[in-house]
Amino acid sequence: MSRRELDLDRALADLAASLEFPPTPDLAAAVTARLDQDPVAARPARGRRWLGGLSGWRRLAVAGLAVALLAVAVLAASPGTREAVARRLGLRGIGVELGGPPPSTATTTSGGRLDLGLGERVTLEEARRRVSFPVLVPHTGGLERPDAVFVSEVVPPGGRVDLVWRARPGLPASGFTDAGLLITEFRGQTTPEFIKKVAVAGQVEFLEVDGEPAYWFSGEPHFFTYRDSAGTFREEQTRLAGNTLIWQRGELTLRLEGELSKEEALRIAESMR
Amino acid sequence: MEGRPLDEQELVEQARGGDARAYEVLVRRYQDLAFRTACVIAGGSADAEDAAQEGFVKAWYALPRFRAGSPFRPWLLTIVANEARNRRRSGRRQDDLALRVAEDRPSGDAAPSPEAAALATEQRRLLLAAMGRLGEHDRQVIACRYFLELSEAEMAAALGCRPGTVKSRLSRALDRLRAVLAEQGAAAAPTTLPGGDR
Repeated sequence: MSRRELDLDRALADLAASLEFPPTPDLAAAVTARLDQDPVAARPARGRRWLGGLSGWRRLAVAGLAVALLAVAVLAASPGTREAVARRLGLRGIGVELGGPPPSTATTTSGGRLDLGLGERVTLEEARRRVSFPVLVPHTGGLERPDAVFVSEVVPPGGRVDLVWRARPGLPASGFTDAGLLITEFRGQTTPEFIKKVAVAGQVEFLEVDGEPAYWFSGEPHFFTYRDSAGTFREEQTRLAGNTLIWQRGELTLRLEGELSKEEALRIAESMR
Repeated sequence: MEGRPLDEQELVEQARGGDARAYEVLVRRYQDLAFRTACVIAGGSADAEDAAQEGFVKAWYALPRFRAGSPFRPWLLTIVANEARNRRRSGRRQDDLALRVAEDRPSGDAAPSPEAAALATEQRRLLLAAMGRLGEHDRQVIACRYFLELSEAEMAAALGCRPGTVKSRLSRALDRLRAVLAEQGAAAAPTTLPGGDR
């Protein structure tokens, strides 16, 4: 048996030596070209000069602030933006603002009590037919089937799906509706962008879900901005006013809201497929 | 695997500070590794190219979160492999590794006769075909170990599993490969392969 093990080991090493991978493309050139196109990424020389004393992390944060201020100017009509900027980090695809009162349109309850003003109510299968990305669902805690599914095909481009679960043991109701968990999925920017986050310090944590950046917001209601797949800056508020986890999965941006602990939220997020 | 040049940490540190040229040097150094790892996980070379490129771009933006002094390769492989998995999940599935056996490579020891060389090539093809009959995870763990020559930490990063489980995963995958080979019959038995111990 051990001779056979050795033989297979040798045979695989021998195979490896004569194996041909497809030729490696010139990734260095492609990556550099993409970073050059990004005004925020291509800032090293200037960043050096006026931010030289800061760590890389802080330098990024401060460099992003200029862009943040611009974004805030764009959103100046919203009451929540006024005092929102404390820091900003360069991250992919999402801009988030914390602090300030939530806009008055938050948590509209026009229809049934699971209706959070989210678009057209459909079945999960129907939603999957109507958007341009694979709709992921959690595979933990009996959450495989959402209690309600909403689809919006117009905004953002590529569509958006909202999955809602009724409050139940382990999923406490939010303060406003019968919903205990809301997961929103849409296609973020397809070319990576410096994704923007504006947050009042102390209420956001930087995490990872499956090796990709994730943000955990706890405490008071917030709203956020993101860039959709057409590159347009869009504004959104959270619906359940609970804690929120936002993360990327490939070209998808996912958002999970509910009165959950960070560990529970991460467990659900990691089970999505 | 090549020895790591001493300046890798410096390059990472410079890139962390926003130096895109330093990052370009890093990309050039690891593009083979990243692309091949993506090939193994995504299956097709178009997906692999896409995943590796996207992985490098994401890694640049994630550099501020890279822990100074920790090894760069596993960290990079985590990001690239994750991109590759996403593409495999959503895209067209390809069930081979997009790899082929070279025709005329001598097996290493004494120069083989043309007949022996042809036989060796055929047997390598059979072994690769046997790998193609394994499940995705088995194929990937074997490819990471033998084709990419990754360390255990790097394998764990590429496969998205805990480092402690790598060895047992590999051993189970090899058991299943052995079973497939046994099914394929004596012609493909590893003992007849070049360099086989008699």
